[in-house]
Amino acid sequence: MSVLSVLDRKHTVAPAGYSRWLIPPAALSVHLCIGQVYATSVYKTSLIKDFGASQTQIGLIFSIAIVMLGLSAAVGGTWVERHGPRTAMFTAACFWGLGFLVGAAGIAAGQLWLLYLGYGVIGGIGLGIGYISPVSTLIKWFPDRPGLATGLAIMGFGGGALIASPLSRQLLSAYDPSYNAADPDSVASSGAMVGLFVTLGIVYFVIMMWGVFTVRVPAEGWKPAGFDPETVRKAPLISTKDVSAANAIKTPQFYLLWVVLFCNVTAGIGILEQAAPMIQDFFRTGGTSSVAVGAAAGFVGLLSVFNMAGRFGWSTLSDHIGRKPTYVLFLGGGIILYVVLALAGGTSTALFVLLACLILSFYGGGFATVPAYLRDLFGTFQVGAIHGRLLTAWSAAGVAGPLIVDGFLDAEGKPGTLTAAAYHAPLYTVVGLLVVGLIANLAIRPVNARFHESQEENV
Amino acid sequence: MTTTGQKILLVIGWLLVTVLLLYGLIETLITAAKLFA
Repeated sequence: MSVLSVLDRKHTVAPAGYSRWLIPPAALSVHLCIGQVYATSVYKTSLIKDFGASQTQIGLIFSIAIVMLGLSAAVGGTWVERHGPRTAMFTAACFWGLGFLVGAAGIAAGQLWLLYLGYGVIGGIGLGIGYISPVSTLIKWFPDRPGLATGLAIMGFGGGALIASPLSRQLLSAYDPSYNAADPDSVASSGAMVGLFVTLGIVYFVIMMWGVFTVRVPAEGWKPAGFDPETVRKAPLISTKDVSAANAIKTPQFYLLWVVLFCNVTAGIGILEQAAPMIQDFFRTGGTSSVAVGAAAGFVGLLSVFNMAGRFGWSTLSDHIGRKPTYVLFLGGGIILYVVLALAGGTSTALFVLLACLILSFYGGGFATVPAYLRDLFGTFQVGAIHGRLLTAWSAAGVAGPLIVDGFLDAEGKPGTLTAAAYHAPLYTVVGLLVVGLIANLAIRPVNARFHESQEENV
Repeated sequence: MTTTGQKILLVIGWLLVTVLLLYGLIETLITAAKLFA
């Protein structure tokens, strides 16, 4: 018990002179690891072959993990606030690492349910706790630049896939010499998959421990040198009072922001999950696509880069132009980009790639800017817990996005035979969703004073 | 914590995340280059 007490909030208060620039790498060390969840497609084909399962059965592993992410972030948010970032990061590291090990046992035993339990449920809990663990701490360390701080951390979640995809391919090649990393259809052996899962579980646990032992919370009343809270208070929409998580979910602002996040994420996921076949379909004439399978994989990689860059870039910009205008850019700009994509995306590969990359940067930016938006509306008191509850929008979008796109495409024909015209209906549906999100964003006003906590002001 | 100790932590922390991100970025851009090859 005494060993575990070093993880608790009261033992993680930073001493005087502690550099706040130690916190972003601590947060990144967690987010870069849990961002692996976006790289599951690398070994999807191998799992399908190993288990003799369908695409849907294997795809369910990812879906369970994302649903558990939203649920554990929502349920565990208040617990994370109470026990502090170190306990939360340690818990996340244990669940994430254990999830891989149990998943490896499932692959070794040929038991798919064990993979669902391991990677999906246990790993998914690690995802949710890990995702929200550094957010409120970063906001408290960077009251002058909350967008930059949370953007840095959440950028890591996007960057995690960039690391995990090539790393997984190289590890599979090392464990199974017959596996061809350059061929997207190559299948790795069951033993190689077990080796990959065990290696990733151990490596991620060790890297996340760096975050556990370097993260600190600022002392009560601490503020950065030269920072004047009054300059922040004068900005529109920024709360001068705190709102508890219990009260936040009673405000219309919470639900409006939920709709904003849901619409923005649904729009991005629609492209993200369909990216590789989509670019091939847009440039298919006479049954043959001018975009090769390898090039389509490159396109997916490029989207990941923009997803990551958008998280840092747009979130940092929001510190200067404000959160509401930033979301007007994401949603309003997204409407224009999707319409152009539907009308002219098939005319040029470069134009298609440019439009899709910008859309994915807005998708990433939406994730990274939302904690700062919550800070503006509800203060810093329980921003992590409120953020956790808001992430249920992500879970819902994770189901809705693929349903919208796949539903329309299934009605248009079989995969491998579709053309750009098949995407008009799903793209215009996404445009409609973005309009709803834009209206919700424009309707956001400062929180009514009756929801404020009766404690000293906080910014 | 001493200033030197903190500087060492800063260097290791940022080096760790920079190396990881650079690895991912370079590997991804090599794959992405096939798009315009």
